[in-house]
Amino acid sequence: MPSATAAPLNELVAGTRMLALVGLAKNTGKTETLAALLREHAAAGRPVGVTSIGRDGEAHDVIDARIEKPRVQLQAGDLVATTGALLRDSGVAHEQLSRTGIRTPLGEVVLARFSKPGHVEVAGPSSAAELHAVGEEMLLLGAEQALLDGAIDRRAASSPTVADGLVMATGAILSEDVGEVVEVTRDAVDLVRLPVAEDARGDVSPEGDRDAKLVQVARRVALGAEPGEIAALLHAHPQAHTLVIDGALGEGFLEGLLAARPARAGRELRVVAADPTRVFLAHRGPRWYARQGIAIEVQQPIALKAITVNPLAPQSHRFGSRQLRELVSEAVPDVPVLDVLDESYLALLK
Amino acid sequence: MPESGARPQVDLARVKPYADHLGDGIVQFSFTLPVPYGLAARKAAQEWAAKMGFEHPEVVHYQELTDGYTYFVMFGESNQTVDYASLSQEGFEIEYMSEEEIEDFARHRIGRQIVVVGAATGTDTHSVGIDAMLNLKGFHGHHGLEGYKAFQTHNLGSQVPNSVLVSRAIDLDADAILVSQTVTQQNLHISNLTELVEMVEAEGRRKQIILTCGGPRVSNELAKELGYDAGFSKGTYPHHVASFIVRELAARNGPGHGAAVTDGAAAAADA
Repeated sequence: MPSATAAPLNELVAGTRMLALVGLAKNTGKTETLAALLREHAAAGRPVGVTSIGRDGEAHDVIDARIEKPRVQLQAGDLVATTGALLRDSGVAHEQLSRTGIRTPLGEVVLARFSKPGHVEVAGPSSAAELHAVGEEMLLLGAEQALLDGAIDRRAASSPTVADGLVMATGAILSEDVGEVVEVTRDAVDLVRLPVAEDARGDVSPEGDRDAKLVQVARRVALGAEPGEIAALLHAHPQAHTLVIDGALGEGFLEGLLAARPARAGRELRVVAADPTRVFLAHRGPRWYARQGIAIEVQQPIALKAITVNPLAPQSHRFGSRQLRELVSEAVPDVPVLDVLDESYLALLK
Repeated sequence: MPESGARPQVDLARVKPYADHLGDGIVQFSFTLPVPYGLAARKAAQEWAAKMGFEHPEVVHYQELTDGYTYFVMFGESNQTVDYASLSQEGFEIEYMSEEEIEDFARHRIGRQIVVVGAATGTDTHSVGIDAMLNLKGFHGHHGLEGYKAFQTHNLGSQVPNSVLVSRAIDLDADAILVSQTVTQQNLHISNLTELVEMVEAEGRRKQIILTCGGPRVSNELAKELGYDAGFSKGTYPHHVASFIVRELAARNGPGHGAAVTDGAAAAADA
């Protein structure tokens, strides 16, 4: 195994103030990753704060009730942002520090400090901005790291406007074919680590300037993705090689660029989004678009600290942990790849 | 023993299904086996039900569904109980208002028309849910939101891409998005619903727009997990959705405007 993986998770994420944990699908082992990290922080006597943009630590899966989930175990002194009802249900002694005024379908989010160890179901703010605010609050209250759990396949928690580090969870659940699991993972990593367009921050011209090299694309054109409008945009800016998009960059817009062959006139194009969480690629990865002459870049990157793998797909199939780790490592050579439940990982902690 | 006519006491810590009398644990269930119709199929269904832990499993109806498939309706007795008493009233209890109350609340607390944009998104072709909530006709004698003075509704129909829904919602300066997902095969609704939330986030509008979702398999737990403000399932009437939207909007406008959420624990902590 590459030497890069020979470190426990808490060391790999040391120095990160707010760490996002995002799973590529349900049951990719995100909660196990969170649980492992919590165990390691507990062993080091480090108080941390935990919240979730979705819901985590529940006893049963909300979509498939047959799947039992790992619990979120906190220590005395740890902070949590969850709903009042869930906190009360945990039955664990705690000190309620404040109410946040943030409303969720499961009740208002409150901040509390555990007085005794115990497990709790975590359901924090649903929006990225509020998640960030709650994370900051927990750091102020003494948490050494805020752990932001990212829910199903919601990537918003990993936005650089929210967190300064990311651990990505992937696993066998993505496909029965291990090659496909690796491919989907690599595409997701490519997306998270889109290259940074250093020069695309400054002189962006609004639509209309014929000589502009950098053009700001209106939201209506980017989201609406009407092929005619996209072709017209390219026609109106024959010199443009960089298109800057403020909000969501969807696959429809990229497909529109591909279809607008005459208007493109052989130009290599670069599309720049604010950060990777603004880019929505359901069908093809960034590499594929790069091969068609469309580079996707971002203004702010995401710091990917580690990838965790879950070789088990509940109620279905299982790969070898070592096999999966090695294949993912080959596809993504410079990121540590861990299976937090495998013996080889547990041996590291001794 | 209770006197005849008196309602028997239910032990809420040990609740069982009810059929003929309290505590009989009898359940009716239906399913399909991929086996040809016949006596062997009937036997197989009984054995399967027994393996599921049902006592006295009984096939009350079975028929050929198609070549090689048989459909069963069965009865069986279950000895399992659940502790209802210990289950919390998780989540918020919206105090539903009548149509008149909603109009009145909106007039006083919002003071303008509330813009609601709705659609069945992605590949979902079913507009029945969104139509029932939004269109004037509504259903079961309850007006859809279109029939309220308080709301300005835009029903985009079915098979609407998330990007188009988000774009329209921003153009219309929508207060709320209502998205319906009927098709749930392969959990298609999950990725579709999350993509919408993520797009609204990417546009920086998450705090301005109230996001609600509805469908036969949508619950508040799922809504929370996906990042929605509310989830509406079967049995929802337009005034339920309307009650939530007006209260939530008022709550977002600031304290003293009436909160949409009453949280038992938080309220208790205050007392």
